[in-house]
Amino acid sequence: MTELKFAGLDGVIILVAYAVIMLAIGWFAGRSDKTVNNSLSNYYLAGRNLGIIALFFTLYATQYSGNTIVGYAPSAYRTGLTWLQSISFMTIIIGIYLLFAPRMYVLGKKYNFITPSDWLSHRFKSKRVTILAIFLMLWGLGNYLLEQLVAIGHAVTSLTGGTIPYQVAVVGFILVMLAYEWMGGMRAVAFTDVMQGVVLMVGVVIFLIGAIYLAGGKIGTITESIANVDPGLVGVPDLTTSINWFSMLLLVGFGAAIYPHAVQRIFASKSERTLKRSFARMAWMPPITTGLVLFIGLIGIVVIPGLDTAGSEQLVGLLANEIAGINGFFYWVMIIFFGAIVAAIISTADSVLLSFSSIVSNDLYGKYINPTAPEKKKLMVGKIAGVVVISLLLWIAWNPPGTLYEIFVLKFELLVQVFPAFVLGIYWKKMAAKPVFWGMLLGAVVAGLMTWTGHKTVMGIHGGVIGLALNFLVAVVGSILVPSAEEDDEEVAAPALTRMPTQN
Amino acid sequence: MNSKSIKEPIRKKWIWIGLVLIVLANVPWYFPVGDIYPLVFGLPYWALIILVASLVLSGYLYWVTMTQWNLVEDEEEQEQREGGAAE
Repeated sequence: MTELKFAGLDGVIILVAYAVIMLAIGWFAGRSDKTVNNSLSNYYLAGRNLGIIALFFTLYATQYSGNTIVGYAPSAYRTGLTWLQSISFMTIIIGIYLLFAPRMYVLGKKYNFITPSDWLSHRFKSKRVTILAIFLMLWGLGNYLLEQLVAIGHAVTSLTGGTIPYQVAVVGFILVMLAYEWMGGMRAVAFTDVMQGVVLMVGVVIFLIGAIYLAGGKIGTITESIANVDPGLVGVPDLTTSINWFSMLLLVGFGAAIYPHAVQRIFASKSERTLKRSFARMAWMPPITTGLVLFIGLIGIVVIPGLDTAGSEQLVGLLANEIAGINGFFYWVMIIFFGAIVAAIISTADSVLLSFSSIVSNDLYGKYINPTAPEKKKLMVGKIAGVVVISLLLWIAWNPPGTLYEIFVLKFELLVQVFPAFVLGIYWKKMAAKPVFWGMLLGAVVAGLMTWTGHKTVMGIHGGVIGLALNFLVAVVGSILVPSAEEDDEEVAAPALTRMPTQN
Repeated sequence: MNSKSIKEPIRKKWIWIGLVLIVLANVPWYFPVGDIYPLVFGLPYWALIILVASLVLSGYLYWVTMTQWNLVEDEEEQEQREGGAAE
């Protein structure tokens, strides 16, 4: 990101203020519940007691990262109105949740699930299905976290005009994040998300106002102005682009709904009513978040035309510079806004890290290494694993491997392969462990190889989606042909659901 | 909300048919490639239609979530009321 001429000491002050607020919230969250460190569900799921405000904002702040602004505005700049897809692909996530969240909430409460793999091992009772799923989830989460770490560094460096060097910035904010997470677990993550989510929402709106101000009278004629720069940016896209758009809807919809930290928020909800209301509100967030960012990117085409790909990546910084120059009010607003970007990145990173720790605590250590360990010990193992993985990822971030780089880009593509097992397993009794395992493996290998060899899409369709289709096919056809070795008589759904009529 | 019936979105086929139709309307495959004009409210007509379709998607999912999902809510609410009364 470009160095911001408006930043420097003022930026440092704002960042320190954000850090202090986050630490205070974490301390408060840990103090308000003395039992937080006694059990896995208290620490990782806030005692399954998140209310509507905390749950809504933790869903929001986790799903929308700093990248939603810093990365999506340049996408709009480069692809024009085709980036309208960012509204629908963020909305469809709620539709995918509706496929499984209602039942998963009931199951989670009944069987005290901590992680998504708790459900998989409960359902399939197969070591290899669970371990493969754990591997895919940890890989996806790890890469997601890596991306956030790199982003924190860039955002802070540009905000402070280099006053705080990249590495100090990253280490500083990671320590803050680890500290509040260590103190309060999911409760701290959710409470800080309320602050981080509000700041992000307000920040986007104010940034848009600044951009509109900057564009002056050109807003009414923005389409004409863009058409003069490049008519392709405002014209109906070609068929391959439309296919790619559909593919994005599938990849993001299925992938984001099945993210372990997303599933864990279903488990953490206080009640069905709370969960339902939070999801319903989330359905309206894309238009006022990615929709506004799209508009910012379009204004960028008119205000700062002619940037190449690398140049356009700096778009948010460039616009912020210009907006900060308008007057003293906008100067401070822009500094607060850049702080908001940092906060948004952290609010995503903390949730991902917590989820990573929970999988190590509960699944790897708790299921396979030392199942009889007391919960307190399992918890400590997870916390320490979090610190270790962060250190490892930092090392990778600062010494990026030259040739294997694409491996670290894979997240949705691999993660989404857990979907058939996770969701079909809820409703389809015949689904068997063996075909599920091979479907998941094959899907992951195909998606991984395609991305790795640089064939990210074929005719606009993402490797992850092709892998997912194959995965579904193997799991379904296999389960029909090879019936499950042991008939699982245990009712899958909760008792309340057995009263349910089959048709209504 | 006084309905006592248990509702689960996955059991209602029409919800998913509706969703697929709205999603189909959300991608501009049905317009002639390269078309820009006429402009409506300063936007190309096709972009406005896609924008409206995405708002319909939000509204539909909001509505389905709020009205077609009711598995244990009544039970939980009752428990909460009883718990609250006992305190």
